[in-house]
Amino acid sequence: MNLPENPNRRDFLKLGALASLGLGLSAVPSAEAKPDPRDLKLLDAHDISATRPRPAGNKPVWDLTTKPLEKVRVAVIGLNRGRSHVNSAANIPFAEVVAVCDIVEARAKGAAASVKKITGKEPAMYFGDENAWEKMLERDDIDVVFVATPWEWHVPMALKVMEKGKHAFIEVSPAVTVDQCWQLVDMAEKTQRHCSIIENCCYGEEELFVLNLARQGFFGDLKHAECAYIHNLGGGVLWSLGSEGDWRRDYHRFMDGNLYPTHGLGPVAQYLNIGRGDAFKFVVSVSSPEFNLTQYRDKHQPNNGQHKDEKFVCGDMNTSIIKTQLGRTIMIQHDVVSPRPYTRINALCGTEATFFGYPARLAIDADNKHPMLDPKEKRSSHAWTYEKEKLTNFMKENQHPLIKKIGELGKKVGGHGGMDFVMAYRMLDCVRQGITPDMTVYDAADWSSILEISARSVKEGSMPIQCPDFTRGGWQTIAPLGIVS
Amino acid sequence: MLTPESQSRRDFLKLSALAGIGGISAASTAEAKPDPAQLTHLTADTIGKMRPRPAGNKPVWDLNTRPIGKVRIGVIGLNRGSAHVKSGSLLPFVEVVALCDILDDRAQAQAEIVFKNTGKRPAIYSGDENVWEKMVDRDDIDVVYVATPWEWHKPMAVRAMSLGKHAFVEVNSGVTVDECWELVDASEKYQRHCPILENCAYGEEELFVLNLARQGFFGELKHAECAYIHDQRHSGTYTFLDKQREWRRNYATFMQGNVYPTHGLGTVSQYLGVGRGDAFKYAVSVSSPEFGLSQLREKTQPNRDRAQDQKFVCGDMNTTIIKTVLGRTVVVQHDNTSPRPYTRGNMLSGTQATFCGYPNRLAIDEDNKHPILDPKEKRNSHSWTYEGDKLTKFMQANAHPLIKKAGTDAKKVGGHGGMDHLMNYRFLDCIRQGITPDLTVYDAASWSCLMDLSDRSVRDGSLPIAYPDFTRGGWQTLKPLPLVS
Repeated sequence: MNLPENPNRRDFLKLGALASLGLGLSAVPSAEAKPDPRDLKLLDAHDISATRPRPAGNKPVWDLTTKPLEKVRVAVIGLNRGRSHVNSAANIPFAEVVAVCDIVEARAKGAAASVKKITGKEPAMYFGDENAWEKMLERDDIDVVFVATPWEWHVPMALKVMEKGKHAFIEVSPAVTVDQCWQLVDMAEKTQRHCSIIENCCYGEEELFVLNLARQGFFGDLKHAECAYIHNLGGGVLWSLGSEGDWRRDYHRFMDGNLYPTHGLGPVAQYLNIGRGDAFKFVVSVSSPEFNLTQYRDKHQPNNGQHKDEKFVCGDMNTSIIKTQLGRTIMIQHDVVSPRPYTRINALCGTEATFFGYPARLAIDADNKHPMLDPKEKRSSHAWTYEKEKLTNFMKENQHPLIKKIGELGKKVGGHGGMDFVMAYRMLDCVRQGITPDMTVYDAADWSSILEISARSVKEGSMPIQCPDFTRGGWQTIAPLGIVS
Repeated sequence: MLTPESQSRRDFLKLSALAGIGGISAASTAEAKPDPAQLTHLTADTIGKMRPRPAGNKPVWDLNTRPIGKVRIGVIGLNRGSAHVKSGSLLPFVEVVALCDILDDRAQAQAEIVFKNTGKRPAIYSGDENVWEKMVDRDDIDVVYVATPWEWHKPMAVRAMSLGKHAFVEVNSGVTVDECWELVDASEKYQRHCPILENCAYGEEELFVLNLARQGFFGELKHAECAYIHDQRHSGTYTFLDKQREWRRNYATFMQGNVYPTHGLGTVSQYLGVGRGDAFKYAVSVSSPEFGLSQLREKTQPNRDRAQDQKFVCGDMNTTIIKTVLGRTVVVQHDNTSPRPYTRGNMLSGTQATFCGYPNRLAIDEDNKHPILDPKEKRNSHSWTYEGDKLTKFMQANAHPLIKKAGTDAKKVGGHGGMDHLMNYRFLDCIRQGITPDLTVYDAASWSCLMDLSDRSVRDGSLPIAYPDFTRGGWQTLKPLPLVS
């Protein structure tokens, strides 16, 4: 599939108007009302599992190719989280930051100034009110829009971005609900635009190393993986006004499940070829009681006690298990309030080797005859074969091609240790070449959907909830992601 | 409750005969060899049901018995049981009266060790499958250790109790929920102790965590993780094909869940006060595919193709989540056939601190004001507060009273690093004093039955399975296990 770039804006508006007559998606209204996350459409155990039919005229986008570009023109909405993407793009020679947008003027100006400092060119600025981003999307000189706003804004913004003929790169979680996941899939398939989840953890050095090994069959038959987002935000970020404390804590008041599944799940879903040869089948989820947010609030009365009436329902620790169509299991956890160090776990278990992160450790079966191993080396999986320096050396020797290519530059530019840059570089390079980005709208939907599915399972007393198939059967024939570079 | 010790055998036979009229049937004169494939598995609707207490039975959670000067023990099963023989022969207040094994040379060898340690030679029962019955007929035994293949545990323990002896049963104590009820009912009927021999509950690290938990160091407890992850592919456990040792592999041909839950679960149950203030509510369980045993057989062809036709149905990795009545969550894993180092997980998460085992790490909340902490020390739970040498010192300074009292001696005697001996010392000391052992028949039942419950959940597509309440409501008023010594 090859689509022309920069179609005339009017064509896209026409397309939208047609759709509103009843051909699938309704047209996006001209000014978005501020979304209230409590109005999100949550589905019951039956509807949440249903695979919806593909609206007439839509086509899959898993192999969507587009016209190669010399320069990829980027705009960014949301300059708290999005600042890192601004910085990455400004440092990529084939990208141009055309416009930046934030509700806060100072943030927009700060980002624009930093772009000017790096590139000599100042991007256009959009700020001041909640709908300024819509004005930005009217421009016809933007190829890719990064959406890095509060979660409830992700889907309305991304839908409009695609309607306006731009690719949407959406921060995590791209969608809060399964219904929203379907909206993203349908819009990407309808407009034939990419709608990638920008899951930076898929571009971490360790994650790419494990992916590289997995793709080469180093682990043997894959059987089990573990991942998590365990990050103590309960004494800081969640109360920080003017930033994520304005909206993120709110989700803890009406959803009890895994509120932030993709940082851990994205990489292990890639190891296991989810959506490309395997697929999520069902999820069971169990939450612990809620303690720490309430206790912190009562003890420290953050922001002069203005949160004293907030009631939190999200259990501190959520543990979910995903079963895949091939029978593999994934344990995934979420805890952003307990007193414990950060971990994404990042574990992969196969018949020939086992990897665990935090700290990184690799156990290799005595019978593993992979060519990258020294055949004279004696091994026993009863202890970690490689850890610490020995593992660091082995990782260096067996780095993913992407890290070999731009890992050093990524570290210089920074952004979560460089993975933000490696991701932005790779994703924008795909758009430059006109090839499909590594992460598609199906990944965005699969990984995000665990949020509502886990909450549904918790609500139903941990009943198994079947996962909808956003690829509509495509996963059975889509080839695994190659070792890209 | 105080029951006389050493009642004449005739009294017990009378009791058994009476009991045979209703409730539990009296032990038959010769037990048929139990076939684990014929065990009773209940449906999802019935497996969690609490059974009424048979008339005349009384709870044993606070059963006291007459103090005795010398505790006389008999041991059945001298492969696993050899650690208990050693402990018994080295404790001054214990006498090893009789030993039993189907293999005569094993019995002779153990008798020799007892003779060497004590100067006295125990009676030997060996040579056929029912010879243990003759041993439990003796009227000079207070405690019978049952350390035989799993399918023999329940019949042997019930018969030992029916004949007036306390039954100390190896893990798993019962294979099915049905068997667990039989153990509870027999213990309550005959007013004999039936503790599970869960040595891991007496590990130094586990006792340290228990000590801290009992002192409120962790704040509110919310979540725990545990496991039995032990690569047994080359230990013989699964490849033994001789008649006496192939029984364990057999379970992998008809059970699909966690076939060995107690080593991890026992200790975290104690941390959480399960059965004493909290109780397991339900379990959901998911298994990975099976690869390990089949591949091992194909690769190593043990014992000339015997077992070539066995089909293994037990997934390599089983992950189960238990929800408790107080809402806490426990993750329990089992994997015996993957290439990875040993771990029991041993993780406890509270509002004020987090402990993880393998390797040991402790994170302490900055607000934690527990008196055992140095108030001047700056802490931050974003990294591990104590690990390595620093944690070792902290563990030594805050060792459990049992470790302070008998830990050094136990290490000298050995047996899984001393925990076997410490457990035997403590249990037999309870019998000597006439007090209730730390682990009761209710612990034996609630920990062991996860084997059957997880199998049920896996078979039913990971449905949550209600947990039976073996205390019949007693957990609501039973006090947590104190810091014993």
